[in-house]
Amino acid sequence: MSRVARQRLFFATFLAPAFLLYTVFVAVPGVRALIYSVQKWDGLGDPEWYGFNNFRALYSDDLFSSALKHNVILGICGGSITLVLALFFASLLHRKIRGAAVFRVAFFFPNIIAAVAVALLWMLLYSTTEFGMVNALLGVLQRGLAGVGIEWMQDALPFAFTDSKYLIYSLIPMMVWTATGFYMVLFVAAMESIPEDYYEAAKLDGATPALQFWHVTLPFIREVLVVGIVFLLISSVKFFDAVWVMESQFPTKDSHVMATVLYQKVFSEYNIGYGAAVAVMLFALVFAATLLTLRMSRREAVEY
Amino acid sequence: MGPRTQKTFTYAVLGLWFCAVTLPLLWVFVNSIRSSQEVFENPFGMPWLITGSPHAELEGQPTPWQSATANFRSAWVESHFAQFFVNSVLVTGISLIGVLICGAMAAYILARFPGRTHNALYYYFIAGMMIPAQLVLVPLFFQFSTMSELGSAMLAPLGLELQLHDSLSGLILIYVAFSLPFTILVLTGFFRTLPGALREAAIIDGCTEWGVFRYIMLPLARPGLVTVAIFNFLGLWNEYIFALVFVNSEAKKTLPLGLAGVSIQAQYKTDFGLMFAGLVIVMIPTLIVYLVLQRQLTKGITMGALKG
Amino acid sequence: MAVGVITRGIAGIAFVLAAGCDAIRPVPGADNTDIVVEVAIFKGGYGIEWHTEIADQFNRDHADEGVRIELWGDPRTADIIKPRLLRRDPPDLILDERLPLWLLIGANKLLPFNDALARPAPGSDQPWGDLFAPGMLDMFRSGEEVYAIPAAYGAWTCWYDAKMFREHGWTPPETWAEFDELCSEIRAAGIDPIALQGKYASFYAWHTYVALVQRVGGVQAINRINGLEPGAFSHPDAVRAAKLYQDLIVNHGQRGAMAMTHTESQLQYVNNKAAMIFCGMWLENEMKDSMPPGFEMKCFSIPRVEGGKGNPAMLPGQGMEYLFVPVDGRHHEIAFEFASYLVSPKYAPDMGKSIGVISPLKDATPRDTITPALASVLDVINASEGIFSIRVRDLLPEWRAQVMHVAIADLCRGELSPEEFGRLLDEGVAAAVANPDVSKPPFVALDPAQYGEQS
Repeated sequence: MSRVARQRLFFATFLAPAFLLYTVFVAVPGVRALIYSVQKWDGLGDPEWYGFNNFRALYSDDLFSSALKHNVILGICGGSITLVLALFFASLLHRKIRGAAVFRVAFFFPNIIAAVAVALLWMLLYSTTEFGMVNALLGVLQRGLAGVGIEWMQDALPFAFTDSKYLIYSLIPMMVWTATGFYMVLFVAAMESIPEDYYEAAKLDGATPALQFWHVTLPFIREVLVVGIVFLLISSVKFFDAVWVMESQFPTKDSHVMATVLYQKVFSEYNIGYGAAVAVMLFALVFAATLLTLRMSRREAVEY
Repeated sequence: MGPRTQKTFTYAVLGLWFCAVTLPLLWVFVNSIRSSQEVFENPFGMPWLITGSPHAELEGQPTPWQSATANFRSAWVESHFAQFFVNSVLVTGISLIGVLICGAMAAYILARFPGRTHNALYYYFIAGMMIPAQLVLVPLFFQFSTMSELGSAMLAPLGLELQLHDSLSGLILIYVAFSLPFTILVLTGFFRTLPGALREAAIIDGCTEWGVFRYIMLPLARPGLVTVAIFNFLGLWNEYIFALVFVNSEAKKTLPLGLAGVSIQAQYKTDFGLMFAGLVIVMIPTLIVYLVLQRQLTKGITMGALKG
Repeated sequence: MAVGVITRGIAGIAFVLAAGCDAIRPVPGADNTDIVVEVAIFKGGYGIEWHTEIADQFNRDHADEGVRIELWGDPRTADIIKPRLLRRDPPDLILDERLPLWLLIGANKLLPFNDALARPAPGSDQPWGDLFAPGMLDMFRSGEEVYAIPAAYGAWTCWYDAKMFREHGWTPPETWAEFDELCSEIRAAGIDPIALQGKYASFYAWHTYVALVQRVGGVQAINRINGLEPGAFSHPDAVRAAKLYQDLIVNHGQRGAMAMTHTESQLQYVNNKAAMIFCGMWLENEMKDSMPPGFEMKCFSIPRVEGGKGNPAMLPGQGMEYLFVPVDGRHHEIAFEFASYLVSPKYAPDMGKSIGVISPLKDATPRDTITPALASVLDVINASEGIFSIRVRDLLPEWRAQVMHVAIADLCRGELSPEEFGRLLDEGVAAAVANPDVSKPPFVALDPAQYGEQS
């Protein structure tokens, strides 16, 4: 065998397993999803060409638009609170305080728990029965405030957090609770690469910690910050597990997110085309978010 | 604000979040060793295992030790958590081995032997990072049916059939394929940083390409391998939506799927202890892995994020 | 050299796949030993122990034919079976009404029971179909075809604790005004009057609302809804029923109930934190492990409404726990036969005794084999002059999930007026009627005159 042929064979053997698995189980189904989305199919008979009617139906469907709205709420509210808290904690931990490692390890922990387990845990925390830790704490707070003459949430406790009507909003604290640690670790690591001199110089100029943060820390970690934002947006677009578990397989218009609509359309209503159209929309959003980061980080490269 | 107040403020804020994160988890761990009756009498109490049962004088009461272990016994045996655990270990373990082998081999070629084709292939793989599970879920579902039919037709002469649905193998194939983009992304970055002179020297010494990869490059890439292994472990161990669609029977369920099922069952039987125990069983392995490997994990996050 | 790499690589991958390989297996039935029939049972309040015993009995009876039932249960049967129906590999017999049955009927995915109903069932020589109590086969009937049969009788009543009532000197109300007054007294005694399974309002609140529709407007109001008539929910009678229900929940319902699952709210009831709860007959069996000693579970029929057209002796109820046979199953006949075991005169007494289910068959459950709580429902059933139910909830799953579920929850919260509620439901039904993909099978109308109601 010639050297070139041998090398080719070597390349091929090394690349083949990954290439085949990825192509068969990721790339091909990805393309087929696009095809399904322009078909009308109940999964049982023969598919028919349907053009963009699935997308048209999607556009005029209350269910999808409210689901999309919920994804946006999760992304914007949950995402921004997570970012602000993560940045705040990161800047506190960055100051080399004692016990920083303990805080870091603890804050990150919720991230490694299965989303299903987190959802169940929060279901218990939110319970309106004796279990509900959140309602118990609010009750303590209410009594405390009443003690100093402030009326607050009179007759509103226990609050029905997991009521379908409020579920999406109740998921925001859960999301923040879970994700903050991850982004905090991300930002702390990025902050470690900032040369100490910059802070020294800022201090000599009399900058307060807030100013230091604004003028030294933020510009330095901008790239990582953008990555964080995209991660958060993508994860809110893909949101599924918690809604599915907390709504015991029956989300309503008030609590659906895109992924649960997709599941319901395909597996409960046998409307494969519609489900695929939802999947394509979901993909388009993830795709847009990723492209946006790539562009933003590229622009940064030019600036520096 | 003086440095003292600043310090107090810092610790107060961090301490508050520390409690917010740890207290609920502590509560789950404590309640998992309390009987449903204990939990119902006081959901926020200490376990009777420590304080002693207030009903100790009553006849026929289980001892605190019995009620402390009863939840785990009923979760582990009656609710099949032992089976779910084994399935999760198998699926996660084999997927990890698979993705590390396939990913490392591909990444090595893509990183060390650049060229037009290889660059194109690299982007082909990386594009997979943008594909959400939800996109391929449905096509994959029908593809599994087609593949199973084809496979069964081929295996029929041997008296065998292929059924990818409701099998751990099917799930493993999906998991490996789906973990490849991230793995290849990180490992390619890693292999690129390794000095190329090593390979030339080894080849001159008569080493084969395989030898170079196996005995020189792989050991050097260990930190990268550990990082992707941790990330893939956490992702796969906790995966829900693929398992929900592709695994149906009790005997094949993974832990998250089993836990979701048990949560409903616990509702019907008003057995809260069972649910707490289930939560603990799901959390413990990730907790251990995390505590042991948290340093690499933290390092990996930065690496992954900066590259991604 | 490269060959070595390839062999090693292939060997490695083969090992990896083989270690977890369970996708390749012997073709079932290839060795010609047993015909294995798969039965899936929703594992809820009733568990599956009793069903398993009947399966064992069936297997003993059919041992020499080489037929074997394999029965499994799961609290998430719907999650499991939906994908399996789609890949045409469903169990042979399924008990779970959480699946979209009408959708499956519309897609010709279920087999009718008619032939099986014409044959005798264990413990009787009459045709199986003649044994059912009135109304029990109507829910999933499309013309002549019966696509699913119930394994349990379902009656909707209001439950209370007889001990608590005795101690306070309260008595079950006969009229809605008395009911309202009783609730105020209970509230005054520091107890929440009504517990509500708010998380699943489209099931629990719905059934109570439907009962009130009949109490106010008679079976004619029920016929209008079942006939998918335009404006059926906006009819003054239906609106009044919605108003009565809303007032009851808003004034007397337990706070936080809208976030409670059925078991959470039922726990409130059995622990005397709430005095009453509307529920079906599975309540006792579901809660029996959590019931404190001394609790006396009893029920009363939904009270008469003053000025209503409905006969108060009519029972809101229907068959429950439906069994059905998918077309794509492999052993249809055995599935039908096993279904007739599960719902047979022979095993009905044992079913009542073991899991507290009243058989959908006429007079098949002896009163002395069942608990006092269940006996109190049986009395309500025996005293009833007829039974009514509404099929739209099952007929239009999309309407249920997207319109009714949300609307009735808002009604309970007091955030939607009864008129708006009626309008929303009507609009949703009209949209479903206009959709050619939705099947609209004919239904069996009830005759008001037959039940002593004015029309």
